[in-house]
Amino acid sequence: MALGSLFGGSSASAPSAPLSTSTSSASSQQLKEKLQNQITQELAVVNATELVNKLTENCFAKCIQQPAASLTSVDDLCVNQCSEKYMRAWNVISKAYITRIQQASSSGELI
Amino acid sequence: MSELDPQELSRLDEQSKKDIMKFINSENSKSKVQMQIHTFTDMCFKKCISGPVTTGQLIGNEEQCINNCLNRYLDVNIKVVQQLQNVQK
Repeated sequence: MALGSLFGGSSASAPSAPLSTSTSSASSQQLKEKLQNQITQELAVVNATELVNKLTENCFAKCIQQPAASLTSVDDLCVNQCSEKYMRAWNVISKAYITRIQQASSSGELI
Repeated sequence: MSELDPQELSRLDEQSKKDIMKFINSENSKSKVQMQIHTFTDMCFKKCISGPVTTGQLIGNEEQCINNCLNRYLDVNIKVVQQLQNVQK
């Protein structure tokens, strides 16, 4: 589960605090947490897989003009830089999109 | 990752079932937003990063372009929905 640790580590501990359960029995509580952890894990894998796919697609297009017998050092450098650039772009989009969502929901555009 | 026994699930009490449904709904909407971020990043990276990659940083107006790309896309999305709503009337 290598991909899970890429994203799961942070998202598993962040907002998924156990919900209130004053009435739950101990075994139900335990099972619930197990389920929620599994869901968080699987979504983290889906998210990481999507990033890997999109990143590969974009950086392959940018960096591998003429596929050689192996990755050249030029290819290698390009892929490294391209990956970093792509993740920076991801962060910019993420921030801007969440800002827009918040604006829309506070102005009543969204329910 | 250990497999869940379906039989175990039936032992969940009502409150836990409700909690889990709530959890799934919120994770679902989070996941949708994440998937949209992937789509937008893909689209705006293609639009804004022109020419060969020479650095891992966002340089020149790349960051501005990405911001504009996202915001104009959402503007267009809203506009299209409004137009369709007008046609319906």
